[in-house]
Amino acid sequence: MKRLSFAILIMLTLAASVFAGDIYFNKHPVLWENPDILIWTPDTDLPIDPKELCLSLKRTNTGIGEPKCRIFGEWERDTIAMHYAKWLQKNIDPKLGEEYLHIRHPALMAKVQSLEDNIVLYLADNGNKVSVAIFDETSTNPKVVGTVMKTNDKIALGDEIAQTFFSGKTKRRLSKEERQKLLDEPDEFYQEVPAFRAWAGVSIGYSQAHIPLTPDDWTSSHTKSRVKNYRITKDSISLWNFIEDDDPLLSVHVGGIWYGFIGLELIYRFAKHKVKTDENDPVYEELDHWDFYQHEAGLNAMFARSYAIKKWLDIDLFAFLGFQYSFYVEDIALKEEVTKPSKAYNVRIRFEEAYKGGLIGGGSQFVFFKHYGIALRTGISSRGRDMYVDPTPDAAAAPSIIGGSTIDWFASVGLEYHWSL
Amino acid sequence: MEGSALFRRFAIICAIACILAGCGPSYRWSKSHPLYKQVPYSSLSITGTENAFILTRSKWFAKKLGFDSLNVQNEATRFCEQAFLDEMKRAYPGLKQIPDSVINRFPEESQKIDDRVFIKGHFPEQGVSVSDGGSIPPYILILHEFIIGTDINREVFYDYELIRQESAEKKTSNHLSIVLSYTLWDNENQRPLFSAVDEVQHPITKITMDDLRLAVAEAAKKIRINLYEGVRK
Repeated sequence: MKRLSFAILIMLTLAASVFAGDIYFNKHPVLWENPDILIWTPDTDLPIDPKELCLSLKRTNTGIGEPKCRIFGEWERDTIAMHYAKWLQKNIDPKLGEEYLHIRHPALMAKVQSLEDNIVLYLADNGNKVSVAIFDETSTNPKVVGTVMKTNDKIALGDEIAQTFFSGKTKRRLSKEERQKLLDEPDEFYQEVPAFRAWAGVSIGYSQAHIPLTPDDWTSSHTKSRVKNYRITKDSISLWNFIEDDDPLLSVHVGGIWYGFIGLELIYRFAKHKVKTDENDPVYEELDHWDFYQHEAGLNAMFARSYAIKKWLDIDLFAFLGFQYSFYVEDIALKEEVTKPSKAYNVRIRFEEAYKGGLIGGGSQFVFFKHYGIALRTGISSRGRDMYVDPTPDAAAAPSIIGGSTIDWFASVGLEYHWSL
Repeated sequence: MEGSALFRRFAIICAIACILAGCGPSYRWSKSHPLYKQVPYSSLSITGTENAFILTRSKWFAKKLGFDSLNVQNEATRFCEQAFLDEMKRAYPGLKQIPDSVINRFPEESQKIDDRVFIKGHFPEQGVSVSDGGSIPPYILILHEFIIGTDINREVFYDYELIRQESAEKKTSNHLSIVLSYTLWDNENQRPLFSAVDEVQHPITKITMDDLRLAVAEAAKKIRINLYEGVRK
């Protein structure tokens, strides 16, 4: 029994879809509750009965309330409106979008714009079909255009039009005062960019030496390198010769932006990098762990552009450029049973006290309800020694500095809180 | 090997970014209606020719071609109009000429061709088929503007961001230029089937009346080719 009723349901749906009309395009006009439907046709005979159409509407759409349907005599007596009606009859075609059906005459454009909350239902004989279009006050193009099969049964035709074009959700019709108030209300997208907006947030991310979309061999010599005997590596230009490069990154941001355009941001970034000791080297048997904690503090200048997407969502796209100081804190320990470290341990590599570098990148902040932000950032950061030291006569004899140029790529996602003034 | 593949991908992404960012402005100079299926050959009429022709640098033309300097605008445009109609009639033997007054009673409207390119012209009202006195011509070629000058480009006349620019007065002229705009009008269904802005650059050393005739003929030929190429397949 259940199966049979299911089959009948499928048959009914199929039948409905066969008989239902075609919609060429639909720009979703507002369907009012208790609407006034004005029927407009260039033909001498109306293919439907206005009273029956109203009953069809009530049958197919329970939310529609008490519709009123009548022939739109004002436009049928108007020469310009009838010229357009005749024109539309010839030009409704599945290939033509709304812009090709635009009303060109200024007098008729003005008439459409003063329709208020009435719905104009255009019907025209088109051979074995009836062309249907709906106009409302918001556009001088038809909002919906389609066709339904022509029948002599006016009740069936009314049902089909109601099912195809009036099955949507209805909205309560506004009173005169409410309409007036709505007109006076400011646009919800209208807002002034605040003079100053500040934020604070934390983010987690990831960094690695290899910059995406660049050849691997730019960095592979550094990342493949291992530390032998506590100090021997392939070269010492990049810190990635000594420590792991692909590690999680934590950061804290505090920033502010003026007029949604130019901003400054203070950042603190933290990461833990393991030293890449060569496992084949027996000297490390004494070692429990050897890591470096990377602390970085920097200042970014930002250039941003704001987009108000929704009332509750602002999106800021920004690019940043800044500088940072990096500090590496060593954390090394021997195994408990080892009493005296090896000689190599005592003369192991030392990093500089601080490195100076730059940051460049971009990102976006998605600010919900003016306060709660999700920020995405990506960019490239560098650390190097101070390049502005004058060369000394004994520079050649001095030991080379470790980490002359250490570059990595990072991406992070963060949570922020925003204030605006 | 992997490195070079990655580098190639990088180069392709750069190229796409360059295209998306738009390396210099590019224009589309014609627009076809989705229902433009067939070029009308025998049933074509033409209108707009009485008022479309405009001569720029008329003093220069008067001096070089020996027109009366007070009446050069009139004489030169009359000459060009005749040359244009002769060439059009050679291409479309059944071409009928409709007086401008039939179209000019409708208000001037602008029509969008591209983001920054608009043409202005008189178009019949929706629902009204114009007649040439007796019969109703099915297809009408409406000539909106036909500008004759030296070394002029259509960008300067039809890109609304450039039309306020003044061009420098030049002593030498390398090209006799024509900029023209037109619309093929479906008079039965009142829709613009094909609209375009064309440009002809005819190289000159010492200008003669023959150069003028040849450049105008070239413009007419361009219309014919564009009407053919604009058909939606």
